[in-house]
Amino acid sequence: MMTFWNRRMKSGILTESPELDNELKSIQKEITDKVKRKFAGSLAIRMVDSGSCNACEAECNALSNPYYDLERLGIYFVASPRHADVMLISGLMTYNMTPHVLDAYKQMPEPKWVVTLGECPVMQAPFEKNFAINAPVEGQLPVAHHIPGCPPSPKEIIEGLLIFLSKI
Amino acid sequence: MRLIARYARESETHFEIVTVWDEKVDREEVSKDDPRVRTLSKTHPAAVWFERKMHDDFGIVIEDAFDNRPLVAQERFPEKTYPMRKVFQERSIPYANYKPYKYEAIGGDGVFEVAVGPIHAGIIEPGHFQFSQAGEDMLHQEVRHFYKYRAIEKMLEGKTLFEAKPIIERISGNESVAYQTAWRDIVLQAGRRELPEANRKYHALLLELERTIHHLTDLGFIPNDAGFGAALAFGSKLAEDARRQLHLLTRHRFGFGAIDFEAHTVDAAAMIAYLDVLEEAIGFFETWVTDIPSLWDRFDGTGILKKQQALKHDTIGVVARASGLSLDRRDEPFYHAHGFVIQTQTSGDVSARFRVRLDEVKNTLEMMRNFMIESTYAVEPGRIEDGEYFGFSESSIGELFMSIELRGGVIERFFVRDPSFMNWQALHLMMPGNIIADFPLINKSCDLSYAGNDL
Repeated sequence: MMTFWNRRMKSGILTESPELDNELKSIQKEITDKVKRKFAGSLAIRMVDSGSCNACEAECNALSNPYYDLERLGIYFVASPRHADVMLISGLMTYNMTPHVLDAYKQMPEPKWVVTLGECPVMQAPFEKNFAINAPVEGQLPVAHHIPGCPPSPKEIIEGLLIFLSKI
Repeated sequence: MRLIARYARESETHFEIVTVWDEKVDREEVSKDDPRVRTLSKTHPAAVWFERKMHDDFGIVIEDAFDNRPLVAQERFPEKTYPMRKVFQERSIPYANYKPYKYEAIGGDGVFEVAVGPIHAGIIEPGHFQFSQAGEDMLHQEVRHFYKYRAIEKMLEGKTLFEAKPIIERISGNESVAYQTAWRDIVLQAGRRELPEANRKYHALLLELERTIHHLTDLGFIPNDAGFGAALAFGSKLAEDARRQLHLLTRHRFGFGAIDFEAHTVDAAAMIAYLDVLEEAIGFFETWVTDIPSLWDRFDGTGILKKQQALKHDTIGVVARASGLSLDRRDEPFYHAHGFVIQTQTSGDVSARFRVRLDEVKNTLEMMRNFMIESTYAVEPGRIEDGEYFGFSESSIGELFMSIELRGGVIERFFVRDPSFMNWQALHLMMPGNIIADFPLINKSCDLSYAGNDL
């Protein structure tokens, strides 16, 4: 265990601070206030994969690595839609997943928002519309914001969430 | 003989059942009016999903099978709708009445079922697991998938190999380079071309880097599922570093679009400097986690897949190697010449799968040094000839098999079998004797793809 703490002391804090980037700096305070006021201090996200390639999920998982550490912004992922303010949808809204996505949305308490992640849910990815695909999500659920990218990088996801927060 | 894949294709006059073994390829014609074929599942249990899929795709009746339930078609999928048939050209299908799916379940006094999914309590892909429980103890588990079914096979029909490429590289994000490598081999075969050594090395470098990213992620997540979060912080940091290297090399964090026939230059000095840093970090990681007895107490003896079971169920990849099977598509002269050593374990438990990943990262580091090149050449892929071509690659999960039939320059039939498709079918064998709280740990130690499985 001592070897670990020795190394820990040496490596210091790795977290990069995209919130200090100039573009984000200006909205930082406003967002913190909004998260405090509207979401009782923290924004809870339920991530739902409706048929992606798993790259969007990998990037959302990367949000928790020491470089990005999303939770320091008061934004975190929850296990149940009943604990969520926002549903973050990736994927093509497949025929087989659609009923379950709609179910999860119904379980969310009001007020609630849907944010789409990546090119799939807006049918901008190279996949072609067919019988197994119900995307775009827009036709199924009210979409409040879209975060583009194939997949969006962790930094782009953070920026996208902050823009969403400044919009509502 | 090892079963690699079993799938159907349609011609004007009949259906053909293609069964790919490691030693040969069997072909069987069945009539279109009354398509029937005998099951292989009695001797090769892994044939079950292939055959259930064949039925859902083409309406081919599987005779003598012990499991005739739908696989891809779910509760509200209309009956007698066979989307892989050429006559099926619908752009959308209505939802039919709900027809319950009969899960495999064990009955008995006090035995109860636990349903998990399709949406899981984390940032993971959707799929369903049904457990039969006696208290904490798992008696049986059934894996049910295909929630992510995007009908990729149908989508690619009628496209050229190059039109299909952007879709193929997005079938499974974690294995994108492996899919592209299998596609590349098919393009080379169809164009009757050989790749210069430098290009092969560059592509192999990318594939090994992709493997490194996936393994590093798992080396963090597996201990995390045993309650050791510090390893996740460490592993996910290393995985992020590796992903940034992939971005530097390919201008994409997942290597989408990376495998092509263009000329590329590599900043070898920077890459080698990165490998040095990673090598030191992995050395530290190994010493650190090996020294934590409570972690290995959770790993050892958990989720055992015995060698005979691994063999019988035709498992591949990390799962098979952890159970003592020497199966790796890289077990060939080109990789051997660049330092490849197959990594196997014998205990078949979570520790074995963790250990195989760790050892593979170390071996991969050595290989990446040997794959280092300054630049690649632009290659003319050649005139694409019609025919049926097979492509293989070893993804971070296991052996990937791709088959493309070209007619008139476009894809007549596309079939791909993700390594996960084999290993998902063996997952339930690891459960009996373990408690349900260890399921996430066992599942993560295999880390299979849902997207590649569901297509």
